[in-house]
Amino acid sequence: MTKIIEFKNICKEFKIPEKRTGKWSTFLNFFKRKYKIINALKNVNFSIDEGDIVGYIGPNGAGKSTTIKIMSGILTPTTGECIIDGYTPWKNRKEYVKNIGVVFGQRSQLWWDVPVIDSFELLKDIYKIKDDEYKDTLKLLNEALDLEQLLPRPLRQLSLGQKMKCELAASLLHRPKILFLDEPTIGLDAVTKLAVRDFIKYINKVWHTTIILTTHDMNDIEALTNKIILIGKGQILYNGSFDTIKNKYANEKIIQVEFAKPYEKILLNGYELISHDKNVAVFKTKKDTEFHTKAFINEISKEYDIIDFSVNSLSVDEILARLYKEYELQEK
Amino acid sequence: MLYKKYIKMHIKSSLEYKTNMFLLSFAQILVFVAEVLGIWLLFQRFDTVAGWTFYDSLLLVGIVMTTFAVTETFARGYDEFPNLIKTGTLDRLLVRPVSIHYQLFGAKIEFSKLGRIILGIILSVIAIININVEWNMLKILVLISAYVCGCVVIFSLMLVAAGISVYTIENLEFINIITNGSKELAYYPLNIYNKWLTRIFTFIIPVACFNYLPLSFLLGTGSIPMWLCAISPLLGMLFLIPCLIFFNCSLRRYQGTGT
Repeated sequence: MTKIIEFKNICKEFKIPEKRTGKWSTFLNFFKRKYKIINALKNVNFSIDEGDIVGYIGPNGAGKSTTIKIMSGILTPTTGECIIDGYTPWKNRKEYVKNIGVVFGQRSQLWWDVPVIDSFELLKDIYKIKDDEYKDTLKLLNEALDLEQLLPRPLRQLSLGQKMKCELAASLLHRPKILFLDEPTIGLDAVTKLAVRDFIKYINKVWHTTIILTTHDMNDIEALTNKIILIGKGQILYNGSFDTIKNKYANEKIIQVEFAKPYEKILLNGYELISHDKNVAVFKTKKDTEFHTKAFINEISKEYDIIDFSVNSLSVDEILARLYKEYELQEK
Repeated sequence: MLYKKYIKMHIKSSLEYKTNMFLLSFAQILVFVAEVLGIWLLFQRFDTVAGWTFYDSLLLVGIVMTTFAVTETFARGYDEFPNLIKTGTLDRLLVRPVSIHYQLFGAKIEFSKLGRIILGIILSVIAIININVEWNMLKILVLISAYVCGCVVIFSLMLVAAGISVYTIENLEFINIITNGSKELAYYPLNIYNKWLTRIFTFIIPVACFNYLPLSFLLGTGSIPMWLCAISPLLGMLFLIPCLIFFNCSLRRYQGTGT
């Protein structure tokens, strides 16, 4: 595997003007501003292999957008080195951006009042795409995303999901080597979400496109990525396969129990009670103890009369929430 | 060509809102009538203003109106620069393999100002027919260069305004005072103003280089050496250089701060 993206010791500082408050604040701010320095990225290192689908995740304000903007050549980092496909993104911008496609989830690259196909034609000229190549690409995108009905309509008449499909197609017209997706599934309904996910996987397969996506939807991560990079407070906290993280929490189980009759108080040795309502109770395994079904049944049926129970692992969202919490604790 | 396609897209977009387009153009004509009427009334009271006749002044108005309208039509993208930053459109432009200036010219074309270009040209023609000038090749060249210089200077002011908006995000009103102020001021021969105002609008913002000075050359009036008046439009165009440098520096700063 060849490395297509390399981030070396990237730091990014922002100077944020600090607003004064009080009587003459507006006047004073005009003449002399106080600045606060915010370290959006602190010594970020990572690399991404060609053909990977990488989930770039982290809580709000962790530095995800800043990283994407640096990678797409919009921002210049304060210090550090970044090589993507042999280019430094913020140098030779024009040459570099031919190789990338970017979808910013909430802002469009298409023209509001003009049929979508016209916007595509403009992009064809911007990227200097050859006629036959454009035709082939459009045909492929058309089949994969079912765009036929959408192309002759102006963007303003399309639903959110239809817009996202067109956005994805627009960013891929020039067949970029690398695709950056900033929250591609935000606000989409279930069917469209699945369609978009399938499409991303499909593109990765047929064109071998390297895809970096940021998302808050953990199902995206589970369905799409083979690798995640977790960022928090401007630092990389985890970089590796998602399964490793999942396995780390695989021991923790949530057990829901239904009793034959309501109990006033429930106590169970070796398990933590999370909630209890009439004849239903939810337990959690204690840290570093493995769950054995037989032992659990033996233990609980000593005192209680149970009808049914189910055992679940932590959901992907819960694992992530756990991770965020854990790393925040580490920092203190 | 890419620019042709941009124009086609803008025409298509504009045609989606025909009523809006019509009303805007109508408003433009009203403004125009008011402006010309103001100058005409002034000359009803005085035969000449600072030695300039009505038609002399009309040519002044013609130049200013045409050049302002041309820049406002085609360089609208620079006018809207603060919005491009706010909405993140600038980020979009930065991930395209085309120069940012080319894209800004393509970003917005304001067709409602087209009417003003035509009116400006009509005024200029009326003035040129009635003005008391013996035309020769040099004079024609100076007049043409005055129009070009006007477009360049106004465009340069837009560049500065756009550059400043990187630092402030908000479109500061004082920028509008400078651009619109220069426009209002340029409607009258510059020698009616006080010395300091004249100097500012000659040496700092070279408004005089596309109206007062070249016109002095055409009319053969004023106390400034004729050869200097003749090349003044060329000198005025140099204003573009520092403005362009300022804009490009601001853009680099944007890429550093990414507001």
